[in-house]
Amino acid sequence: MTSPLITLKNVTRTFPGAAGDFTALADVSLTIDRGEFAVVVGQSGSGKSTLLGLLSGIDRPTRGEVFVGDTAVHSLSERAMSSWRGRAVGIVFQFFQLLPTLTAAENVMLPMDFCGTWVARERRDRALALLERLDVADQADKFPPKLSGGQQQRVAIARALANEPALLLADEPTGNLDSRTSDAILELFRGLVSEGQTVVMVTHERSARRLASRTITLADGRIVANGGGSDG
Amino acid sequence: MASPRVRKVLRDVWHHKARTVLVVLAIAIGIVGAGAVLNTWSLLRRVTREGFLATHPASATIRTDSIDIALLARVRALPAVKDAAARRTVVGRAMVGGSWRTAVLFAAPDFNAVKIGTLQPVSGAWPPTDGAIVVEASSVEYADAAIGQPLVVQVGEAEQQALGVTGIARDAGLPPGWMEHVVYAFVTPETVERLGAPASLNLLQIVVQDDALDREAVRRVAYEVKALVERTGRRVLDVDVPEPGEHIHAAQINSLLYTQGAFGLLALLLSGFLVVNLVTAMLSGQVREIGVMKAIGARGSQLAAMYLGLALVLGLVACVVALPAAALLGRWYAEFTARLLNFDTTGFSIPAWAIALQLAVGALLPVAAAAFPVARGCRIPVSAALRDFGIDGEGKGNDRWLRRIGGMTRPLLLSLRNAFRRRQRMALTLVTLSMGGAVYLGALNLRASIRNSVGYTFGEIFRYDLSIGFARSYPADSIEAAVTRVEGVSRVEAWSGNRAAIARPEGMLGNAFPIGALPNGSRMVAFPVDSGRWLAAGDSNGLVVNRSVLRGERGMSIGGEVTLVVDGKSSRWILFGVVESGPGPMAFATREAVARATGDDRMDRAVIVASLRGPAQQAELSRRLREELQNRGFEVGSSQLMAESRRVLEDHLLLVAGFLMIMSQAMIVVGGLGLASTMSLSVLERTREIGVLRAIGARHGSILSMVQIEGLVISVASWALAIPLSVPMSVILGNAFGRIMMPVRFVTLVPEPSGMLLWLVVVVAVSLVACAWPAYRATRVTTAAALAYE
Repeated sequence: MTSPLITLKNVTRTFPGAAGDFTALADVSLTIDRGEFAVVVGQSGSGKSTLLGLLSGIDRPTRGEVFVGDTAVHSLSERAMSSWRGRAVGIVFQFFQLLPTLTAAENVMLPMDFCGTWVARERRDRALALLERLDVADQADKFPPKLSGGQQQRVAIARALANEPALLLADEPTGNLDSRTSDAILELFRGLVSEGQTVVMVTHERSARRLASRTITLADGRIVANGGGSDG
Repeated sequence: MASPRVRKVLRDVWHHKARTVLVVLAIAIGIVGAGAVLNTWSLLRRVTREGFLATHPASATIRTDSIDIALLARVRALPAVKDAAARRTVVGRAMVGGSWRTAVLFAAPDFNAVKIGTLQPVSGAWPPTDGAIVVEASSVEYADAAIGQPLVVQVGEAEQQALGVTGIARDAGLPPGWMEHVVYAFVTPETVERLGAPASLNLLQIVVQDDALDREAVRRVAYEVKALVERTGRRVLDVDVPEPGEHIHAAQINSLLYTQGAFGLLALLLSGFLVVNLVTAMLSGQVREIGVMKAIGARGSQLAAMYLGLALVLGLVACVVALPAAALLGRWYAEFTARLLNFDTTGFSIPAWAIALQLAVGALLPVAAAAFPVARGCRIPVSAALRDFGIDGEGKGNDRWLRRIGGMTRPLLLSLRNAFRRRQRMALTLVTLSMGGAVYLGALNLRASIRNSVGYTFGEIFRYDLSIGFARSYPADSIEAAVTRVEGVSRVEAWSGNRAAIARPEGMLGNAFPIGALPNGSRMVAFPVDSGRWLAAGDSNGLVVNRSVLRGERGMSIGGEVTLVVDGKSSRWILFGVVESGPGPMAFATREAVARATGDDRMDRAVIVASLRGPAQQAELSRRLREELQNRGFEVGSSQLMAESRRVLEDHLLLVAGFLMIMSQAMIVVGGLGLASTMSLSVLERTREIGVLRAIGARHGSILSMVQIEGLVISVASWALAIPLSVPMSVILGNAFGRIMMPVRFVTLVPEPSGMLLWLVVVVAVSLVACAWPAYRATRVTTAAALAYE
């Protein structure tokens, strides 16, 4: 029996605004098991990115509790949060967010450098192995602006995996890619899940739902559906 | 191999080469400015202190009749006396450019054996030989002397002698000859005899045994020596005790050093502002990357170490460029200032601590300047950093006042609003440019103040055109009658100069100072009165002193009684007033009062107002006066043209103001760099906005002018701010200058319109140049690229 990796208990997140507080997530409770490929869908403003922010510790809940594994993410200090995030979570962004002045390999080495994981002289080999796994090893010494969108996103995924995180979070990872590349990237995620990686992905892609083990649908900050891969 | 984060930092530096160069340049300029001043300061301090002490200055000087070896031996045998030496001083005149100037000649039996107040050969031969003269370094220009050329010297009525100038030597214990209007020179006792003066030694210099004694304790030792000298039947004319270990112009030197120090600090501060701006600019472009790095596990402290390390490296690079430049500049200015003050920097090096301090400041200034923006940048929440789109709505600006101004086009309104959007950055840029402007205007004002004050001194205080000094004294009437007969003389007054000292209750005399005897109601001089009043008819025992006398003799008060010893005779006086008449001590009384005190009513100087204007005619009048007075049997000593004195003084003083102009120009460069960085940043942050403007039809010219107008708004604001800021700056500079060189009366506070206009032209030019690159960059932003700017 699989144990939940993610547990959200009555999580609410409100943002102050000129016209009063805006509730992005309202009293959300959720569990996601290890090895799941969960896809979060919903319309713009439904709370998808806020949910991802809370899971990664980039954002904190106004109320409620967020657990990833045994870690109470909501109660971590800023300093502890960075260390935890670097080791426990890998994040893939829509716009790749690779550092333009570092090569592909160096981008992948960076999280290991910050978190002190792996012996310094082994980091490049690990980065190259990850890039190989994601089929972009031949681009290792190129700078991001020289790479295609798909190649950049593969490098970004390799970077997200650098510290062997328990959880991989992806925020519309295919939102900036053409359909063929998108399919390839989604296939890649599926491959990772099959190797035991837990993935939570925010997406608009219908094809992603087919590959996912669970689809969580949000509307107006609430979970309106939570079920099998093609639900919702 | 360097870690990825180190490589990231290095590549960022390389990627933003222009900005990196700007940061290094800003730090370097600050270090060069402040470092040059620190180097000047530390070198001058060392030169003036160590250089002065290295001459083994006399603790006291006693003026007496002939001093022989036996007397010297007896003085040296006194327990409180460490050493004693004797010199001869002769006051004569030297012919310079057709007119006579006061010359003070020093003679010693063997200059090489002089151990008290040692002299330093500068060039040519040393010591002087019989029939030759060595000119003191600070008098060379005033004497128009050159090695190999003859200098015509005369003492009293004796025959003029053309003495060959064989060398130049420095006496660091003397006040500068150019400032005193005296030709100081060194000759042998035989040459003194050849000039018709007695060769016997008349100045007894002593060094006290205990270095730690204060001035009054030294005076007590000097009085022991005085008593000994008097017991041998010799007359003691006066006893001079300077402040132990301090150069005669120590106060001026300190004022000069501290004023310069303040400017150095200001340059550093402004440079610091610029570095804050630039580091903020650097971090602003990195906000999103900081967010990404945090998202993948970077801690705030790791990011801070990256950026502070970068600041440290940039500071060190700037130091590599700046330290040698600061050393060269500092040494050059120290040499120049030391020459003005009659010191030589040869053989002295800039202290190691000064270099170390510059290195420390150069390295740490950018770190300190970066600390706040780095801390702020690293504290940005990841979510906010990832959402960063450049400039936000900061400056929630109450810009209603802008809307009230009618007739403004939208692009113009946008430029004005943009200028005020980042208020902190705008304030720093404004302060940097304004301070540069204030110093620039302050220096312009100081120059005007100096010219006004010199004009005031030579027009309102000294109201005569030339003076003739006599080698002997004559009745006032005969001098005035003889001078009046010479064509071209409009008015004449006969004066006399004696030396006086204040008798203290404990029986000792204070240092001697000149006392001028002036006719009742003299119209030739009008010193500004500090307190009390100037001399009036019927002041039978009225005395007026200057501030310097008052400083040296505590306990004097207006209306109080003072006992003076004038020419060895004691007399009682009432202090009527204190005037401002320059740095040296000086007293004034009526001719009648001085005559009663000394028993001698004869005068030795004529001050003359010429009816002829123009320096050439007045020089010709001076020549005729000497000729006709000599024909009538007067022994003419020196003559002095006030126009010439004015020129020499003005030239030297304006050189000091020139240094401030150079400093202000450096600050303007710093300000210009600040503006350039602000505008670059502004363009960078608004890439998206510029793209939108282009998308809705903004032309090349509109974008260009928008950036230039924004820069001009800041520049013109700094121009306007610099004008009021220049007022306190002018007061500070005027006061400091007054302490250093001469009283600056009527400090010019409001810059002349031409000065303000000039500053406006400078600031506009600085703005146009500083904004040229950012404006060009703005025009290169394509709509597609700008809108895709992430």
